[in-house]
Amino acid sequence: MTDPSPSAVNRFRHEALFYSGSAEFVNGTVPFVREGVASGEPVLVVESPEKIKTLRAALERDADQVFFADMSEVGANPARIIPAWCDFVNRHWVPGKSLRGIGEPIWSSRGADELVECQRHESLLNVAFGRGRPWSLLCPYDTATLRPEVIDEARRSHEFIVEGGSARRSENFRGIDASAAAFSAPLASAPPPLDEVTFEKGDLRRVRELVRKRAVAAGLDESRAYTLAVATNEVATNSILHGGGSGTLRIWQDVDRVICEVRDRGVFDLPLVDREAPGPDPSSPRGLWLANQLCDLVQIRTFHEATVVRLHMRLDPRANLSLVTDVESTEATMILPP
Amino acid sequence: MIAGEIDISNTAAVAASLRDEFDGGTDPHLDLSRVSFVDVSGIRALVGLALQMAPNQRLLVHGLAAELETVLKVTGWADLPGLELCSCAGEA
Repeated sequence: MTDPSPSAVNRFRHEALFYSGSAEFVNGTVPFVREGVASGEPVLVVESPEKIKTLRAALERDADQVFFADMSEVGANPARIIPAWCDFVNRHWVPGKSLRGIGEPIWSSRGADELVECQRHESLLNVAFGRGRPWSLLCPYDTATLRPEVIDEARRSHEFIVEGGSARRSENFRGIDASAAAFSAPLASAPPPLDEVTFEKGDLRRVRELVRKRAVAAGLDESRAYTLAVATNEVATNSILHGGGSGTLRIWQDVDRVICEVRDRGVFDLPLVDREAPGPDPSSPRGLWLANQLCDLVQIRTFHEATVVRLHMRLDPRANLSLVTDVESTEATMILPP
Repeated sequence: MIAGEIDISNTAAVAASLRDEFDGGTDPHLDLSRVSFVDVSGIRALVGLALQMAPNQRLLVHGLAAELETVLKVTGWADLPGLELCSCAGEA
């Protein structure tokens, strides 16, 4: 079985590192970073503040050659992680050189909905980069705290696995095409909605007013309620223009968030459209990209004869940070120099 | 001065009337302080107008709500040569 080392890759290498405990984490990541630094490759580490602190200490002077970013910020909405990697690769790629990244998007306290979106993100990395520039992305998974089925899914979403100190191909990797296939993972069952309305062209003003009113009543501040209405309006506009001319909006409140669901009869077949930064060309699509930039979580599903989009807005935006942060914010270097 | 909300139900009409209005030689001012909502199609129309005017003219936009300014930024349209957001009081 072939086992190319990360420095020998001539294409994208997406690799999961299974570790348990801090020592295994350091042993699995530090040589990977050091090899990259030694070959003059740009290296970006997107990790929790504690792990950044650990890595900085272990890397010593090599840490000065590495970009660090806080995954609890970059990946608060997991759909914003691919754009960050795209930005890194596009800015730092030079012909003939590889790049390296470490990204740990999944940790045990991720909420259930967030976890599924993180797993979708891991699969979509294969689609976003699998046929593009050569670089290596190592994704640590903490086997001590993550459930076995999360580790199993990592075997399907990564082409390579590092386990017990050795790297090999994952026999369970689903491949690039299957990674791009329509996503139909079940959605959490919703409570009876506060509102359920059908809409068509001409009803969007009513849609926006309803979202704002319900969101404010649920405890969102005016600005975030308005922002949720902006995002919902765009998704509902997609229903009108591309999803059969009409749709159904449902709004409900969960413990810590307001959720707007838009359901229509469209077919969603552009798996990366919500995470590819739109260029200045006025005609390129922007609605779902915008939703991901504005909302805390966006779930897109293709079911039989239905496309469903759920937009989540947290009541307390600070509660995004489900990682413990005991490191001064200055510890994490800004993701990219100007 | 325009007032109200802009979405796909009226974007084309708004864009057409603005195009008629912005015929002159100086940089036109557009006061949106009484426009409570502009969707992406509306912003797209403004961007289209601005692109048509550049490089001879710039569209000077006033009074855009802070949330919509964020929309303009994250959709990648904030730094177009023909479009300028002005924080001064509306002059349209």
